[in-house]
Amino acid sequence: MQEFFGVPMNYIAGTAAAITLLILAGVAFIGVRNPVMFKMGLRNIPRRKAQTTLIVLGLMLSTVIMTAAFGTGDTMNESITSEIYTLGGEIDEIIEYNDEDFPGPEDEQVLPMSLVGELDAEFADDPDIDAFMPMGTEVLPIQNTRTRLNEGQARVVGWRNEDAAKFGGLKDLDGDVVTLQGNEIAVNEELADNINAEPGDTLLLFFEGQSQEVVVKAITPNTVLAGTFDTTSRQGGAVSLDFLSGITGQTDSVDGIMVTNKGGVKSGVEHSDAATEKLEAFLAGTPYEVDSIKADGIDEAELFASFFTTFFIIFGLFSIAAGVLLIFLIFVMLAAERKPEMGMARAVGAKRRQIVESFLAEGMGYDLGAALVGLVFGVLVVFGMVGLISYFAGDSLGVIIQVHVTPRSLLTAFCIGVIATFIVIFIASWRASRINITAAIRDLPETHPVNPESSTWLGYLRGVLNGFVAFGITVVSIVLALRFPALAPAFLLAAVTGILGPWIYALRGSNFGAPASERLIGEGHPKWPWILGAVVPVIGWFVILPGYALALLLVRLTRDRKPAGVPTWLVAVGIVVAPVGMVLAALQDRGRAIAWSVGFGTVGAVLGVIMVQWGLDANSQFLFAGGVSFVAFWVAITLRYFRIAERASFTIVSLALLAFWYITPAGLLEPIVGELEGDFEMFFLSGMVMVTAGTFIVVYNADILLPAIGALGSRFGRIVPAVKTAVAYPLTSRFRTGMTVMMIGLIMFSLIMFQTINSNFSRVFLNDDARGGWDVQALVNSNNRIGGDGDGAENQDDAFRAALEENGGDTSGITTVAEARISGFFDTEVKHAEPDTNDDGSLDEFGRAIVIGGDDAFLEGTSLAMESRAAGYATDADIYRALREESNLVIATPGMFSFEGFGDFEDIVDLGERPEEGFEPFPVTVRNPATGETTDLMLIGVLDDSADVFFLGFMTSKETLLGALPESEEQTFYLKVAEGVDADGVADTVEGSLVQASADSLDSLLDDQRRQQQGFLYLFQGFMGLGLLVGIAALGVIASRAVVERRQQIGMLRAIGYQRKMVALSFLFESSFIALSGIITGFVLAVSLSWVLFTSDNFDESASGAGFTVPWLELFIISGVAFIASLVMTYFPARSASRVPIAEALRYE
Amino acid sequence: MSDSPNSIGEVVIEARDVHKTYDTGSIQVHALRGVSLQVRRGEMVAIMGPSGCGKTTLLNCLSGLDDFDGGTVLINGTDIARMADDRKTEFRAKDMGFVFQTYNLLPVLSAAENVELPLIVSGTRPKVAREMALTSLDRVNLRQYGNNRPGQLSGGQRQRVTIARALVNRPAIVWADEPTGALDSKTATEIMDLIVELNSSEHQSCVIVTHDPKVAARCHRTIRMDDGLIATELSQDQMKAEVAAGGGAH
Repeated sequence: MQEFFGVPMNYIAGTAAAITLLILAGVAFIGVRNPVMFKMGLRNIPRRKAQTTLIVLGLMLSTVIMTAAFGTGDTMNESITSEIYTLGGEIDEIIEYNDEDFPGPEDEQVLPMSLVGELDAEFADDPDIDAFMPMGTEVLPIQNTRTRLNEGQARVVGWRNEDAAKFGGLKDLDGDVVTLQGNEIAVNEELADNINAEPGDTLLLFFEGQSQEVVVKAITPNTVLAGTFDTTSRQGGAVSLDFLSGITGQTDSVDGIMVTNKGGVKSGVEHSDAATEKLEAFLAGTPYEVDSIKADGIDEAELFASFFTTFFIIFGLFSIAAGVLLIFLIFVMLAAERKPEMGMARAVGAKRRQIVESFLAEGMGYDLGAALVGLVFGVLVVFGMVGLISYFAGDSLGVIIQVHVTPRSLLTAFCIGVIATFIVIFIASWRASRINITAAIRDLPETHPVNPESSTWLGYLRGVLNGFVAFGITVVSIVLALRFPALAPAFLLAAVTGILGPWIYALRGSNFGAPASERLIGEGHPKWPWILGAVVPVIGWFVILPGYALALLLVRLTRDRKPAGVPTWLVAVGIVVAPVGMVLAALQDRGRAIAWSVGFGTVGAVLGVIMVQWGLDANSQFLFAGGVSFVAFWVAITLRYFRIAERASFTIVSLALLAFWYITPAGLLEPIVGELEGDFEMFFLSGMVMVTAGTFIVVYNADILLPAIGALGSRFGRIVPAVKTAVAYPLTSRFRTGMTVMMIGLIMFSLIMFQTINSNFSRVFLNDDARGGWDVQALVNSNNRIGGDGDGAENQDDAFRAALEENGGDTSGITTVAEARISGFFDTEVKHAEPDTNDDGSLDEFGRAIVIGGDDAFLEGTSLAMESRAAGYATDADIYRALREESNLVIATPGMFSFEGFGDFEDIVDLGERPEEGFEPFPVTVRNPATGETTDLMLIGVLDDSADVFFLGFMTSKETLLGALPESEEQTFYLKVAEGVDADGVADTVEGSLVQASADSLDSLLDDQRRQQQGFLYLFQGFMGLGLLVGIAALGVIASRAVVERRQQIGMLRAIGYQRKMVALSFLFESSFIALSGIITGFVLAVSLSWVLFTSDNFDESASGAGFTVPWLELFIISGVAFIASLVMTYFPARSASRVPIAEALRYE
Repeated sequence: MSDSPNSIGEVVIEARDVHKTYDTGSIQVHALRGVSLQVRRGEMVAIMGPSGCGKTTLLNCLSGLDDFDGGTVLINGTDIARMADDRKTEFRAKDMGFVFQTYNLLPVLSAAENVELPLIVSGTRPKVAREMALTSLDRVNLRQYGNNRPGQLSGGQRQRVTIARALVNRPAIVWADEPTGALDSKTATEIMDLIVELNSSEHQSCVIVTHDPKVAARCHRTIRMDDGLIATELSQDQMKAEVAAGGGAH
């Protein structure tokens, strides 16, 4: 993969590696400068081996996800690229007929042989182009006379031996060059397998009812020279150009001219741009064009790989978010565990910075170990995912997928994992270092200095001021610069000014910022910002260094001039006027408590307001809904600050947010805010906000369960205390519990949502109605059609049965035969409702579509139901009768109308809004690309969703189709079989008897589609489920920590008569409570949001009227697995709790 | 209030040549080197001695909280070394009460819930357990604080809750490890008054590990330990005399 999100991978890898090296160098520097604290940190790693294992497992997740995403992208890229090299060989470009700019009958879309001579002469000594090869091609039915096996759609190519030699020649399976004379044919491996061909076999080629004998000279690999043009339909063969011309009657012209560049199979691509440019110049004004197939193919491979990587990373975002929460949680818990030690270290003289360094040393130990383990697991996940993709979708991808992970991807994943973890560890370490020494030594809860401004407007405004000074100015200014690009220079200047802020806080807590009475003599200001500013190019020189210098000056001037108080109005002025705010922040007393939650919450609210305005302006649901959510959380934080019913305010705000997140995607706000567009990112944002709101509701209200548990008393007397403590303990540490509930909730939300939406789509689309009442479809080779080209009223049933019986096929099980003629996707143009804008700004009036022209038997026999009918057509039968009896009428499947859901399909026609029942018939303009002629067909009905599966496009009568698009050559027969007759058996009979047909039972095709969809569902669920490991690891960490924290209490419980199993049970109950809270939160939110989305018009119109079902079984399995896994993870800490030696525990401190 | 024994009965606790060694990996610590003693029904016995002499270890071994390496401990004639863990646990829940220096109350449960805990785990019906818990809290004058959590109580109140919990199942033996260690002298005196009063009214045997000679002087008998062995035994009068003379720290 060369690019990711448009950024070159080399740049990403290089930057990530450089930052990682910087981090490692910094940590090494700490080790050298402060070896004691460094060792203290490192020696903590092997202290509790089980806990260390859990931590490493938890931390590795982000690396695993990155490795898996990049590795899958690499694998796809490499597999497709190598397929392109194998198939194309030396062929780099193809010169072909330009049917778009020069429409004409298909048999006239050819290139004259004379062009080859002109090209040879023009480019004889060209440094980029090596040679040309004219090639003819036809798709023909082939029969092996020895085995009597048929292939209905084999691509036979014709070329001259001397031309092929310049392209390296066609080689057989042993690598020997094959030359073809007379009626010799080289069949490729795929075709040889299909008809069991061997060298020496005689084959029959069929063209327009005539057969020609050919003799197999060799079996060759599947390459373009051997007829493989399409990776999903590889069967083919090669004959001499003269022989093919003899069959088709196409002399003095060919279908294409292959071009090979200078260089080999791979290096030839480097000349592709130059060669294409020269050829285009030469062919200018002619009806011929150049297709850079190899270079374009490699670009597409890159795009495809990038799509896979992006897709997996977006799906992995939930897991990464959960992983970040886990890392933070782990380090908060570690800090709690080490509190007495840190307190002791601080008491004997260690500085806060040294505590941070010690923690960083420990954290980096886990971090590096986790990143390495993550790489290994990530590669294993790639193997698993690639295996699954191959198993479920290998055939449809048309590529043999082999795992390939580049060292660059491994390096990038490793470095990103290390960096992400380091950032979280750094923040957690900083937080951990801010302890009260006495409380830490005695392991007592942290006490906070009494804040006289608490819950006052002055305190609130001071919090807001500090929030803006600390980081808010920079963040808000950058967002404003993005929002209003015209004013960007002014906002960016403000952003740079704001950079001063964070340094004020860094210096405020240091010895340098201390007033004279507390300042130690001989210790200067911190030097590391100078070093950082000097080594980071550009930002360091122009932002960090000046910012730090100014901050030093400001702190130097204010450190001995702290006023006793600041009037409220002045603080308010400081919030609005940034420089005043900076000075006020510096003038604050060092020990003054600051309500940071208010500060950052208000910055978030300001960002939220900007986002709301932006979202409304740009019709972006993401910005609008995200902005409203920020503002809502700010409201809750503000109420909490003023101690206004904390539980009620968080609960009400969370409930309001949930309601908002239901009505916004459902489009219920459209009358007020207009139509907002959302894409796949809404999946992530809705999950994050809704699960956060859900978690607040749970942690603030779960204690209402306690009386209910008490009521259980009479029935489950002995275990009631265990259940009570299981609910009560987690609620005493809301932060820890909330984080874990959120982690599990996030993952469950994504899994449940994915499963529910998929199941419903599957139900709506991949149901039995998709078959349209038919059992078997038989595709007939367009060169060898069965029956006549009548108007659809003639009886094709007889012709089909006769053809079948003529070849010994049994027709007794077939009850109905219907014929449809089809105009293919690239042979049909239909006018858009609104012209489509291309990337280059040009407009496309027409899109592509498939048109099916059914004969009378088809239109009578189909059971495809209508979703909406035009006025005047009371029943579906009326519509089908009208199609049979009147010309120029048409119906369409839902796929022809605007698609409101995620994603977009290029080229396909868009008829605009889907019409409601009883709509006025309206014209659909169909254009014949061969002639440019247009025909208006009146649309009188829209088919049901399931019709999109096998009949995507337009449907009309055969007569109308052939009138509008006379070159609709593709022919398909639809059969119904008698009850009890095996459709697969009939399909086999048809295929075995009719050399020109390939047949399948529609049931088995439907099963294949279901299987494929299910496969991808499992794949993504498995990938997202990785995040569950995070939540489960978090439970394990919490339980292990709880055993340590509550050792004395466990001893007491055992002393007063708790049996061992009761102790273990109380721990299991506790984990169950947390796990179930997360599972139920995710479950309820995901199912309800799925319901809202699925039944609203906004998500996908096609699904809105189709009802909604909850796949209970699947959802219970997912939830059950998550729950059991969390219990298994807690089992070990619970067991160790039950084995705590009582006497020892009672003495434990 | 009289501190004298009013109904000392038969032997309920008997230790014979009890040995206990802690193995810390690199060194072995002989915490008990062959301790023998008897405690009778209704008797209050104090165990004193310097730090590390084995007082708490002896209490843990006698009460079945900890195993020992040699010797015999009989509670009401039953050899506790032969009891399975479940049986021992049940025995503690029904027949013993514990008071610890650091209270060891569950912070997430109310005072009443903490007190009723031993009853509920031994199968008493919740309603009955709650009534007994409130009665027990009544005896320590804390009934009105039944719904308060430990965090909402003072140190003395918490220790009284612990005592209420120790007595709620009307145990035959109460074990107390430094019951006044974390309290100021006034509260410590109140707590000891309470323990003595309850002992005289409930006739339980009571073994108290303490550093405080004043606490020991409230007991019928004081056993002094040194280096894992019983060094001396003093009667209540002897102990009182020592306290009056300003000594008796060990």
